[in-house]
Amino acid sequence: MVSYSQELLDRQNNDGGWSYRTVGGSWTEPTCYALLALAAGEVSSSDAVQRALQWLASRQRPDGGWAPRDGVDESTWVTALVLLLPPEQVLSIDRNRASRWLLAQTGRESGVVHRLRLLLLGLGADPSQRFDGWPWYPGTAAWVVPTALTLLALERFDRSEKDTLVQKRIGDGRSFLLARRCRDGGWNHGSTHALGYDSDSYPETTGLALLALHNATPAELGVALALGERHLRESKSLEAASWLTLGLLVHGRTPSVGAVIPHQGTVPLALGVLAEAARQGKNLFVQ
Amino acid sequence: MSSSRPVTRRQWVAGAAGTAALAGCGRSSRELDPVSILRVGTYSEDLYALMQRIISEHRLDIRGKRVVLKPNLVEFDSNTVINTHPKMVHAALEAFRAAGAADVRIAEGPGHRRETLDLADSAGYFSTIPKFESVFTDLNLDEVTKVNLVRPQSKLNSLYLPQTILGCDLLVSMPKMKTHHWVGATLSMKNLFGLVPGGVYGWPKNMLHWAGIDECIADLHSLFPKTFAIVDGIVGMEGNGPIQGTPRPVGVVVAGADPVAVDATCCRIMQIDPQRVGYLRLAAGQDQVREKWIPQAGEKIASVATRFALLAELESFRLSGSGSGS
Repeated sequence: MVSYSQELLDRQNNDGGWSYRTVGGSWTEPTCYALLALAAGEVSSSDAVQRALQWLASRQRPDGGWAPRDGVDESTWVTALVLLLPPEQVLSIDRNRASRWLLAQTGRESGVVHRLRLLLLGLGADPSQRFDGWPWYPGTAAWVVPTALTLLALERFDRSEKDTLVQKRIGDGRSFLLARRCRDGGWNHGSTHALGYDSDSYPETTGLALLALHNATPAELGVALALGERHLRESKSLEAASWLTLGLLVHGRTPSVGAVIPHQGTVPLALGVLAEAARQGKNLFVQ
Repeated sequence: MSSSRPVTRRQWVAGAAGTAALAGCGRSSRELDPVSILRVGTYSEDLYALMQRIISEHRLDIRGKRVVLKPNLVEFDSNTVINTHPKMVHAALEAFRAAGAADVRIAEGPGHRRETLDLADSAGYFSTIPKFESVFTDLNLDEVTKVNLVRPQSKLNSLYLPQTILGCDLLVSMPKMKTHHWVGATLSMKNLFGLVPGGVYGWPKNMLHWAGIDECIADLHSLFPKTFAIVDGIVGMEGNGPIQGTPRPVGVVVAGADPVAVDATCCRIMQIDPQRVGYLRLAAGQDQVREKWIPQAGEKIASVATRFALLAELESFRLSGSGSGS
């Protein structure tokens, strides 16, 4: 994992952020994961961290959130990733405003207008749609990945700032995830069936959901842990293997990873570092 | 084919918006360009020669141009045929290079799975296309620019779009011939959903669903009206497409410079009524997808028509008089 950490340092852009790939403009998501990985990994560079934090701090929008990258004039789900960074590291960021932006977001499908519309059309609402999750992009439906990451971010925020609304949304978010399981017991992007046809789970989203549900009981999770282990045995993706490792470790499992294929973007590299750190007892997502 | 076809909405929008520069390919008389229906039995046939023939017969002048091939890469399931076959894409890559393109890239932004390269690997792109990673751009994570929609059909006023697409001279949409459980059929126009960056909008690109799927397809078409279409219909997908359907051998590749005409022709081959497909109506109007307005080359539709199974909810899309045989 030292090599992954070093590679991350080598990829940092001059402006302090990271691209998804070896070259390209800086984006919020890879910058946050790279910062988390540097906090967890064996290779450290205070200069790199400071430049990255400066990049992030200068891009907090007036509404409290972050856009995915420069040139996009909308705060999105990536705001959760900034709130996931260790609080002691992000002193220059207004975490309260960031949390308020996140709390203002819900999936459009759980809103009163949409549910009333379905009622008037005589269409039964999906029971899972009564729980508020989080969307990727404002004004759209809630999905598994942004909901899972926002749960983790709000839990971190709640450890320092006890807030009843935060706790309610955390509870709703957990219910959303538990209700969005596929027929095989795992999670895909969040669409468990369409037109009566069931969908199967994906490895990476199953791992992330298991991580976000780290407080769930075995009874609540059902076959999800066994499924996660099966996904991990079969997965060749570093990103999927990392999320599954992180998700299984928090439930006391000891995951073993096979060979992963070598084409790796910045996010998978950072997740690889974070998964390895979690194996060593340092899981930055839940600590 | 008549040279007095009325100006279509997409042509008008293209002119008004000045979007020709987005994806112009240097051709002169697009209205006269036919839709080619080429019989290809299997993926083992000489697909490179096929692509050369398409480039030649459609008089694509691509010398010195930047070409982007946009396959349909969605998910991988070894039990069915979700994605454009990698041999098709490889053959197109080599043929466009040989025809003098300055640069040919393969680009896609899958809507469900974030790990595009892993998906491409599973789908056989790495093993089929030499140095795949060096010629591929993940459109979900590409640099983006905001583009305003002129007279949008959807609820969107603008879209962030990838620089790789905005900067190319010719966009080639290379979809799989599939049914689609919401819009009837997914072909060269629906394939443009893959241009919309997940890095901005997420996975799935749910913004497009709330803004109206048919309408967003029409809007994307209005931004890229000069897209060249090459449809992989050698083995298509019927039933619960675009992901959970079953393979349906058709044995054709359909190509042309007018995506509306190509998609309407593909619908007829699948025995789906193009006039019932919402995005075709929005993009072209009811008249423009009539068979008599679309010049055909190669095989006749009737000789390759293959009745695709449709979900019960989509039986209203069935081409009337298409019978029940294959």
